[in-house]
Amino acid sequence: MIDPAAVEVALPRTDVAGTAFRPAQSYWSESWERLRANRVGMAAGGLVLLMVAIAAAAPLLAAYVVHHNPFGIDLYATFSPPSGAHWLGTDEDGRDTLIRLVYGAQVTLTVAFLSVTVSLLVGGTVGLIAGFYGGWLDNVLMRFVDILLSIPAIYLLILLTILQPKIGPVQLSTSDPRSLAVIIAIVSWGGLSRLVRGEVLTIKNRDFMLAARSIGASDLRLVLRHLLPNVLAVMIVAASLNVGAIIITESILDFIGLGIQPPTASWGNMLTNAQTYFYHSVWLVVLPGALIFITVLAMNLFGNALRDAFDPRLKS
Amino acid sequence: MLATIPTLFGVTSISYFLIWVTAGDIVPGVEINPYIKQEDIDRIRHNLGLDQPFWLQYLNWLGLPNLAQQLHLIGGTWPKGILEGDFGRSLVDGSPVIDHIVERLPNTLELTTTAILIGVLLAIPLGVTGALRRGSKIDHALTAMSVAGVAVPSFWLALILVLVFSVQLRAWGLPALPSSGAYSPLVGFDPLDRLSHLVLPALVLSFGYLAIWSRFGRSSMLEVLSQDYVRTARAKGMSERRVVYIHALRNAVIPLVTLIGLELPALVSGGAVVEIVFGWPGIGRFALDRAFGHDYTAVMGIVTFAAILVVLGNLLADILYAILDPRVRYT
Repeated sequence: MIDPAAVEVALPRTDVAGTAFRPAQSYWSESWERLRANRVGMAAGGLVLLMVAIAAAAPLLAAYVVHHNPFGIDLYATFSPPSGAHWLGTDEDGRDTLIRLVYGAQVTLTVAFLSVTVSLLVGGTVGLIAGFYGGWLDNVLMRFVDILLSIPAIYLLILLTILQPKIGPVQLSTSDPRSLAVIIAIVSWGGLSRLVRGEVLTIKNRDFMLAARSIGASDLRLVLRHLLPNVLAVMIVAASLNVGAIIITESILDFIGLGIQPPTASWGNMLTNAQTYFYHSVWLVVLPGALIFITVLAMNLFGNALRDAFDPRLKS
Repeated sequence: MLATIPTLFGVTSISYFLIWVTAGDIVPGVEINPYIKQEDIDRIRHNLGLDQPFWLQYLNWLGLPNLAQQLHLIGGTWPKGILEGDFGRSLVDGSPVIDHIVERLPNTLELTTTAILIGVLLAIPLGVTGALRRGSKIDHALTAMSVAGVAVPSFWLALILVLVFSVQLRAWGLPALPSSGAYSPLVGFDPLDRLSHLVLPALVLSFGYLAIWSRFGRSSMLEVLSQDYVRTARAKGMSERRVVYIHALRNAVIPLVTLIGLELPALVSGGAVVEIVFGWPGIGRFALDRAFGHDYTAVMGIVTFAAILVVLGNLLADILYAILDPRVRYT
């Protein structure tokens, strides 16, 4: 028998008055504070937001600021250098470069964020299921991912864009940004699912999972309520680091003529004929690529900042 | 390692399924010719094996029945398939796809191996410099360069380099580098000419590798420099140069070797985009040309070929790790 009074004496006093102690903070708000302290990351994130805002405001900019529309052909003013009428000059059909870049941002960013969402949904679901259930299901799903990742991405993309297969009721076609996003997602979800599966494997045997299971939680509840919140951070970081790669992939497809088709402007297809502009209109070669570069750079820096914020151990 | 075989089967069946659902049982041009009788169409379809069920078509495409027949396991006559190096014929010119691949493969390998070599030879010294002068201006510049290197689209970098080294140099009356192709058509074989064509594509391709590898080399070197044996070497009075270049560097390079091994599968497909921009007569350029020509069987053959090489490349890389690092063992 232990005398409670003796324990009381032996234990250090815990009710010291005036101790400065931090209120309990959730993982997310703690991460947000770390992210906010990262100036480079916040600036990069702000730049991405600015790009999104400009892309969303494209029709307003066309009507009230630039006073041109992206399809307005003016054959009297082809290849005119930057001037008061055309701030960033015109292209081979006399179309205003600035407004085409703005509308191109709309296409590129739509494809990038949509594609990353789709691949996150598919890859996340497959990864969660494979990791949670294990066994033959895990084996089958992961072998399928192996197979998918064995086909070089650029060739798979060429194949999908020329074959334009029908998936259920949806006819994929590259003239539509949403289809293109799906095609790119088909190629890019594999890596995400591997990552999520690996993360699930490290979490699923932790004590809290066992506890939830032992009080009779259903599989669905276990996955959605206990597993998902714990892998969400990894998924968000991986997705944000993927956006840059997807922007590059999309612009490559547009550039070689398999992606968004003219006259719709995209940063990639504005460079398709760039080789013929070398001698007279260098801005047409430099500007679209520079925008791709800056956007991808900002997105990557923001993704790195997110990673550092969510998991300070990984900080490089 | 045995997982390689099902993966190969999976890759080929996915490729075959894709082509089958889109253009599977069509004999191009025959159905729209009003002067061809139905029985002729049926005969052509029968001769091409298009009236057979999907699974048999797939096995034929692989060449399994022919192999079985060669071994006197089954009778009949069967077409050759992928297992015997027959990747089908082009829809456009009827020539065997494998001939086109074999013709272009050396060009592709020339480009990718050069790029990887440049990447390795530059990445190691840059990474070591960054690690040894951690926090210095050089280190920051190198870090910035590698962050930018990952973000720059390779095709745009190619355009800019052509703009500077081919267009502007010529405009200033200086010797310029050629902007496309692998050789000058009228010169014949001339090593210098080939080399000058190789410079720009190889530089563009190596830039991507350089960005990743130099960063990795830096962190690997930093990690090694903080190890106990490096401290021991310093403590016993060894010269700094010897510590860095004999003890640290060798150990820092090992993880880099594994990273470079990961690029083994990319030897065939990694340079596709650069090939396309520079008109380099490799497999990637060929695939795109045929894609625009709606030559499905040719694209199919290339995709299958590249995927098989990727799987084999992965296998080879795994084996190499096991040899290099005895701690790696397969169960």
